[in-house]
Amino acid sequence: MSTGDSPEVLPSLMKAISSDEVAGFDSIKELDDVNDIFKSIGHLPSSSAIQAIEEVAVEGQNDFSVSQMMHSVSINLPPSPVEAQLLSNKKVLFRDNYGKKLCTDIPDSATTSQGNSAQGRMTRFYSQPMPKGSAFTEAIPCGKSPNQTDLPIRNPKIDRLKDKRFDSFKTWSGKLERQISNLRGNNRESEQDSEGQKPGEFETLPVDRYFDALEGPELETLRASEEILLPEDKQWPFLLRYPISSFGICLGVSGQAIMWRTLASSSSTKFLHVSPYINLVLWCISLALMAIVTIIYSLKVIFYVEAVRREYYHPIRVNFFFAPWITLLFLAIGVPPSVSQNLHTSLWYILMTPIFFLELKIYGQWMSGGQRRLSKVANPSNHLSVVGNFVGALLGASMGLKEGPIFFFAVGLAHYTVLFVTLYQRLPTNETLPKELHPVFFLFVAAPSVASMAWARIQGSFDYGSRIAYFIALFLYFSLAVRVNFFRGFKFSLAWWAYTFPMTGAAIATIRYSDVVTNTLTKSLTIVLCAVSTLIVSTLLVTTIIQAFVLGNLFPNDIAIAISVRRPKSRRWYHRRAGSSDAKDIDQYLKYIDSDGGKDIEASLTTANSNNQEVSSVDLKDVRNNHCHNMPLP
Amino acid sequence: METQKSQPEIQLAVSTDEPSATSTTPTAHSLSTTTPVHRSLSLSPILTRIHAGYFRITLSLSCQALLCKILLQPNNHNSGITFHVSQFLYSTILNILWSFAFCILVLFSVLYALRCFFRFNLVKKEFLHHVGVNYLFAPWISWLLLLESSPFVSPKHNFFIIFWWVFALPVLILDIKIYGQWFTKGKRILTAVANPTSQLSVIGNLVGSRAAAKMGWREVSVFLFSLGIVHYLVLFVTLYQRLSGGDRIPAMLRPVFFLFFAAPSMASLAWYSISGSFDTGSKMLFFLSLFLFTSLICRPGLFKKAMRKFSIAWWAYSYPITMLALASTRYAQEVNGGIPHAIRLILSALSVLVLFALLVFTALNTKMLLPDDDPILVPSLPILSLRTE
Repeated sequence: MSTGDSPEVLPSLMKAISSDEVAGFDSIKELDDVNDIFKSIGHLPSSSAIQAIEEVAVEGQNDFSVSQMMHSVSINLPPSPVEAQLLSNKKVLFRDNYGKKLCTDIPDSATTSQGNSAQGRMTRFYSQPMPKGSAFTEAIPCGKSPNQTDLPIRNPKIDRLKDKRFDSFKTWSGKLERQISNLRGNNRESEQDSEGQKPGEFETLPVDRYFDALEGPELETLRASEEILLPEDKQWPFLLRYPISSFGICLGVSGQAIMWRTLASSSSTKFLHVSPYINLVLWCISLALMAIVTIIYSLKVIFYVEAVRREYYHPIRVNFFFAPWITLLFLAIGVPPSVSQNLHTSLWYILMTPIFFLELKIYGQWMSGGQRRLSKVANPSNHLSVVGNFVGALLGASMGLKEGPIFFFAVGLAHYTVLFVTLYQRLPTNETLPKELHPVFFLFVAAPSVASMAWARIQGSFDYGSRIAYFIALFLYFSLAVRVNFFRGFKFSLAWWAYTFPMTGAAIATIRYSDVVTNTLTKSLTIVLCAVSTLIVSTLLVTTIIQAFVLGNLFPNDIAIAISVRRPKSRRWYHRRAGSSDAKDIDQYLKYIDSDGGKDIEASLTTANSNNQEVSSVDLKDVRNNHCHNMPLP
Repeated sequence: METQKSQPEIQLAVSTDEPSATSTTPTAHSLSTTTPVHRSLSLSPILTRIHAGYFRITLSLSCQALLCKILLQPNNHNSGITFHVSQFLYSTILNILWSFAFCILVLFSVLYALRCFFRFNLVKKEFLHHVGVNYLFAPWISWLLLLESSPFVSPKHNFFIIFWWVFALPVLILDIKIYGQWFTKGKRILTAVANPTSQLSVIGNLVGSRAAAKMGWREVSVFLFSLGIVHYLVLFVTLYQRLSGGDRIPAMLRPVFFLFFAAPSMASLAWYSISGSFDTGSKMLFFLSLFLFTSLICRPGLFKKAMRKFSIAWWAYSYPITMLALASTRYAQEVNGGIPHAIRLILSALSVLVLFALLVFTALNTKMLLPDDDPILVPSLPILSLRTE
């Protein structure tokens, strides 16, 4: 059994094994290899060295080498790299603290290859290239051991934080974090880490990569043929899992605040006797929520700027970058009278400036073509980019400004027309529209309803223009509501909160309309729409709470930002000593992985097939090449 | 321009009903298709190479004359927009500018008329080209603008009316032909031929509408306006969608992107003339064009390729800015305030600057004025059919 036990809570990545089997082997970066190297050189790894090795080793690599951990029994490697790949991708928990679990997962192959472990390690791994710039790599040829001095005892949480694999997503590849932790006095890391680090090697992800790698109405699910850069089986740091769509919660709640304020103050709903305190309470809640979400996301920007960049390049998530500003605008619109009567106009300018610049960027992208042109990336979430204009116009007109609101209304109207036509067309070149209905479609209702309110404010009365816009909104709402059957079977995601504000907006527009045209029909319509909106928000709240506390899955691993820059080429199938029969098994196995409810069966099948051919070809080559020589350690 | 060594017929894959004399002897005096009226042998290459895109120059000049007229008008009662120039200075500047524009326009018109007469096949090829066809509007627009900005013809004058008809009628005819093709003809439907220069047709309608409104002909004016606006809507959406993906126009023609904000500015001006005041509709159109202008200015990389070599397409920078400056003038007139006036000043200064710069560049690069590889003349751009990507 293992001798080199690390302190209890540490994940015992490596159990020290007897060192004899070392011989020469390929220098793929595996922790056990390191261990063996040291043994061959003659160092007996102390427990601290093991920890150091574990730390130093893997940065920004993919799962493969990580999974080559040493486990309790005499296996230090899974018997074949094929299986290692397989297992690592199939979410088997390698990174469990206790090696026992692993044993149970690979029962037979492990034991059968036990005797051959030495030979196994001698197999040539036509592996992925060594990740560049890790101190580990440099350590090996130099024969240096990483700094073994004074490593404090860590617990798994900090350990996760310091997991090197997430460094490439961190700001300045983790240097910032090290600076901060150095400042705090935990000088744990040696200089070798920093010199080994390469600055984030991410180039700009073209939008095609997102379309190729992801699928689903929110482009969140990974296609079967794709790999991601971060380990799938492990829970990522919280900040990495925190998507920008969480601003949608604030959107939804602040919309509700506005609705209850309008209900309380509008003349046509006086008969309901709604208390203005509801507005106050909701407003304070949404203010608090906004503060919390902003702080968390700012932390993410500070610490994981690479992840934020990738969200920005995501064709759907980019629209959510408008959400914070729209929420602030909502908060300003819905401010309770008891808090403030008149907001200063400079606030409007301050709030609209980021929206303006974001718009310049995104609409310019639509127009100038290239890979992010509208016909390619149009999706219902683009409404979020356009709605901001109307909300700003509404707020400005409420504050009494004249020209600014008209400016934004004009810009919003022009671009909304384009977007509306494009989405209605459902062009075949457009890949992101879900074939079935998804709650995101409710965003269609957002723009006309807010536009009608804004126009009413600008003109001073709910005139024909506003009515036209309002009726369009109403029609779209009903058109979607009668199809409620199709809104089924979707996985809950935080972005759903953002899809509630259109319904709230339609309700508010109805209230305004019923102010002008007061009769039973409009009043009942008001009540119905407000009730529906409140109901949906409450349901969503309950669902969110259940997800958060009961299922613990409110923030799942954010796969969408971790896609690889290049499409994974044929997965290089490593040579298997035991012949190619296992390769076939693996192919069979691969066919049924990750099928995502059958939507992607085709993709997985075709990839598996192509991989199959590649397997056989590479296999033969490997077989021939393998027995030629043993590659010594570099 | 006297000695043209290379004969253009070789570069262009055009029909060769010209005698080959021009292709062999550089000093060929007699071209059998050209009558001996032309004393200079160099006319033939000019006729061959000049195309409707050259009217960009005249467009810019006429537009600038109009801007000058409006900006410097001392008898305009709105004190907000006049600079304090004396009457004499004002009329001098305007006269000089207008005469210059007039001469250039006459020159180009004559040249182009000759080209129609003698090289009609080339003109036809232009008509069939998806970019060239839109520039067929350019001469008429220039004439209309020049008419409007003329210092001695007032809009109510009969002279004005007659000339308006002379210039607006071809616009209408072209409209019927081209717009009809957009939604009926198989190979030349909108999705296949849409490109930023198509907005010139819209501008043509709007200029005609504005001139008609100045004359007091309300119905005609609204007619032309609605025609222009409706097609602008369709075009705007189509162009924004960028169905074709990569450019339908070569990189050298990128300056025509400025047309994106020329059309709404002109629409704003036309609506101003129709409704009598710069009301919300005009404001919205003006703001839209302002936004698009800002958006394009912030993307210099878009124009980098086109700026490497001087070409006649560079003149496409000038008149949109001038049109925007015109609209901003009307806006500042309506909404008095620091910012509108600042915008107006900046834009007017910019338009004058750009015009001068272009004049200088053109003067320095006369050799390049008639290049061999002008994209409009080379009919190698296929009309792409709609394909899924």
